Amino acid sequence: MAGILIVAEVDAGVLRPEYWELATVARAVSASIPGGVSVAVIGADVAAAAQQAAGIGPDTLHVIDDERLANPWPEAHAAALIQLCGELSPQMVLAPRSILGAEIAARLAVRCGWPLLQDVVQIEATPDGGLQAVRPVSGGAVAATVRIGAGPWVVVPRPRAFAPAAASAVAEITPTRHAFAPPPFATACGTPQRVAVQGLSVDRAKIVVAGGGGLGGPEPFTLLREVAALVGGAVGASRVAVDSGWVQSTMQVGLTGKTIAPDLYIAVGISGAIQHLVGCSSSQVIVAVNSDPAAPIFGIANYGVVGDCKEVMTAFRDTLATRAAQAGRAV
Amino acid sequence: MRAVVCLKQVIDPLTPATSLALDVQDMKIRVRAAAPPVINGFDEQGIEAALRLRETIRELEIVCIAASERFNTDVMKRALAVGADQLILVQDPSLDTWNSYPVAYALAAAIRQIGGADLVLCGRQGSDWDNGLVPYILADLLAMPLLTLAKRVNIADGKRVEIERVLADGSMTMEAALPAIVTVTSELGALRMPSVAARLTAARKQPRQIALADLGAGAPPALAPEVIDLAIPVTGRNCTFIEAADGPGAGVRLAETLLETGAVRLGMER
Repeated sequence: MAGILIVAEVDAGVLRPEYWELATVARAVSASIPGGVSVAVIGADVAAAAQQAAGIGPDTLHVIDDERLANPWPEAHAAALIQLCGELSPQMVLAPRSILGAEIAARLAVRCGWPLLQDVVQIEATPDGGLQAVRPVSGGAVAATVRIGAGPWVVVPRPRAFAPAAASAVAEITPTRHAFAPPPFATACGTPQRVAVQGLSVDRAKIVVAGGGGLGGPEPFTLLREVAALVGGAVGASRVAVDSGWVQSTMQVGLTGKTIAPDLYIAVGISGAIQHLVGCSSSQVIVAVNSDPAAPIFGIANYGVVGDCKEVMTAFRDTLATRAAQAGRAV
Repeated sequence: MRAVVCLKQVIDPLTPATSLALDVQDMKIRVRAAAPPVINGFDEQGIEAALRLRETIRELEIVCIAASERFNTDVMKRALAVGADQLILVQDPSLDTWNSYPVAYALAAAIRQIGGADLVLCGRQGSDWDNGLVPYILADLLAMPLLTLAKRVNIADGKRVEIERVLADGSMTMEAALPAIVTVTSELGALRMPSVAARLTAARKQPRQIALADLGAGAPPALAPEVIDLAIPVTGRNCTFIEAADGPGAGVRLAETLLETGAVRLGMER
């Protein structure tokens, strides 16, 4: 019987970054869950990714390498994971909260009748052999502490809630290969059409400068774009700004937009409804600029400025531009 | 041909987080102000997907079904106003829960009672608890294939459903034979506004209320974790307000502060 099974998701040949965070979670609870730490690598041509995944020094490494797993086809990937769980009988399955990872975790949980702990930001084993975890709800406005009895469990941690584990010296580990033997498929999928992101996308930028309803129209977004260009960031927007037609929907941060966790998030004229907080509350540093001192966004901000957004951001931009010019001359 | 759209009544996510009240006795999240609930936004997009299908499949019957402890009927009737043929509300105190299983069992039983569905549409997740589990349980209970995260839904030859599924960096097509379950995502687009005439017609239509006890839904398994505490999270953030004589002064101070703390580094690589 395996103790903890980590799902190492491989996306277009690359091991997803959440993998290293899952390793941190596994290490934190492994003392209470006997059976060691195993890793499952599922995909096609995943030898390189499997070798990289071995960097956390797992006890066993399991690989299902099959052409039918080349695309992010949920039914096929779930079938592979369900097959492995049948063979390994893990106590805990850790999956990344990616589009594919969250889906195969749900399919596994329902198929096997195992409890699913979704979006976990804290987790510990309890003395009675269960788990206790904290997860955000209502967009992170509320933190719920949940408890579950004996496993097996499926746990899906929130991205960036746990520090990534460092790869130790690559342990010599021989992967156990499993032949993929899925039941008949009820769905079929085509080849993914991947689009190159134009400019810097909000979900990849380290700094995001976002505007909301408090800006009053599309024009101030020019100012935000200038600030973003100076700091090497991307421009985001709240739902109000998108619904008002000021900016395109790909920039939207929040429940119906993107969930992001940049190093720095500058929210300008954004009040901080649940809808928006769900998308940005995991940012490392949050700066809020708003004319309303009672705006909820200040409740999650590290730095706040109460004032007219255009006045504040114009001076902010000019100061950065001056400093950048000085730095340029000094070099 | 019949499409069932599953709906959930949720706290309006445009509510300011500060107006939420926690009932740690019953482990429930309530809204302090008298803000009305809304139909979960992703589920509304499920209605929109069904309405778009009916533009080409004229005989498509659209039935919306929701399961909850209680309903704001005026809010739920929006489904009728935009063009659903029928609205079924399954009500029971046991459905006041964050546990996906009792809700999915009730929805599946209601779908069976009306004679099944060719297509079941669900939102990708609830905007409150965000478990996203109901469609998976439904697929299991109804033994239907499940296609998720559709931004486009199409029915081919009345026999197959084809979707365009969103990926983090693009999309891919997926298909399955009917009957099937499809979840939709925000990229599909917002629910249309009802016309005034449709709104007036809908005002006369009434939802059909069904008691859970009359459905024979069966006992759901006890698989959900127990909620033992609810709290306003300690973010570890203490907001430092930048004080200055005026807006421009504050902008300068903010820039200086972020440069000093290293939060902003000029000439950073993209």
